[in-house]
Amino acid sequence: MKTEPDDGDLVAMALRGQPEAFATLVERYDRAVYHLAYRTLHDVEEARDATQEAFFKAFRSLRTFKPGAKFSTWIFAIAYHACCDRLNRRKRYSGDELPERADTSPGPEQRVIALDEATRLRAAIDALPEKYRTVVTLFHLQGRQYEEIAAVLGLPLGTVKTHLFRAKEQLRRLLGEMEVTES
Amino acid sequence: MNMDEARGADPLERALLDLPLEEPPEGLRASILLATAYRPAPPFSALELALVGSLGAVALWLIVLLVLGGGSLFVHTLAAMGSALSRTFSNMAILAWVAAGGATAVWLTLFTGFQPAMRVSHRSERSAGR
Repeated sequence: MKTEPDDGDLVAMALRGQPEAFATLVERYDRAVYHLAYRTLHDVEEARDATQEAFFKAFRSLRTFKPGAKFSTWIFAIAYHACCDRLNRRKRYSGDELPERADTSPGPEQRVIALDEATRLRAAIDALPEKYRTVVTLFHLQGRQYEEIAAVLGLPLGTVKTHLFRAKEQLRRLLGEMEVTES
Repeated sequence: MNMDEARGADPLERALLDLPLEEPPEGLRASILLATAYRPAPPFSALELALVGSLGAVALWLIVLLVLGGGSLFVHTLAAMGSALSRTFSNMAILAWVAAGGATAVWLTLFTGFQPAMRVSHRSERSAGR
């Protein structure tokens, strides 16, 4: 039976000069990285650029990838930092307190009428403050691997758990409000 | 803890984990691959660029000498360079070291095998149907 090589094997193969190995890593993670970038930046073009930048940086510094580490955590961390740089640039140029105010579309209550559950949940996530939104997005991408989320964000484990707990509280409240508005 | 376990108790957590990922824009993967794994090899290698740059610098230096010092200084400089080169390559020890270096380089190339440049994938942005 033929088994798929794991991410660590693919990194090693890419370092040995096999471009197909890195292409497989791109195929595995481009969608998730784009998702993280889009959820953080709320802009299709910027998310696209940040995703490209993340993979480009990963490719250039593949030799610094530690054997035994998780590629997903590594690439998410690179992507998250690329997004933070873009958010900081936005803040510098606009003077606004972004990204909380970046989304100028109507608030969640207006957006959710007649929307399906996934869309409603996305709208609620978008309404969260940035620090909670990122934790929720990474929870979505990595499940309950809190250590991985903490590694990506560079935060203590306890902070991640607290942020996630508060984020879920706010999500429940927002979703509840949406249901009331809808009915 | 695996994903199935993570999906366990809380309906909100389950909904979060089941949320479909955002659809990336068309051509994103192709453009990433073209910038990374399937990046076309540069038209000149670093060695070729260094060689052309060095020759250009020597040519520029000679032109500056010619303009500033007139013909005699130019001829004098060329003669000095020629004499230095001929002295260098008439030294048997230097020739032996150059020959040894060349032979080692050829032997190493045969030993490690020829490394072809990375080819461009058929999945380019243009062919991705943009």
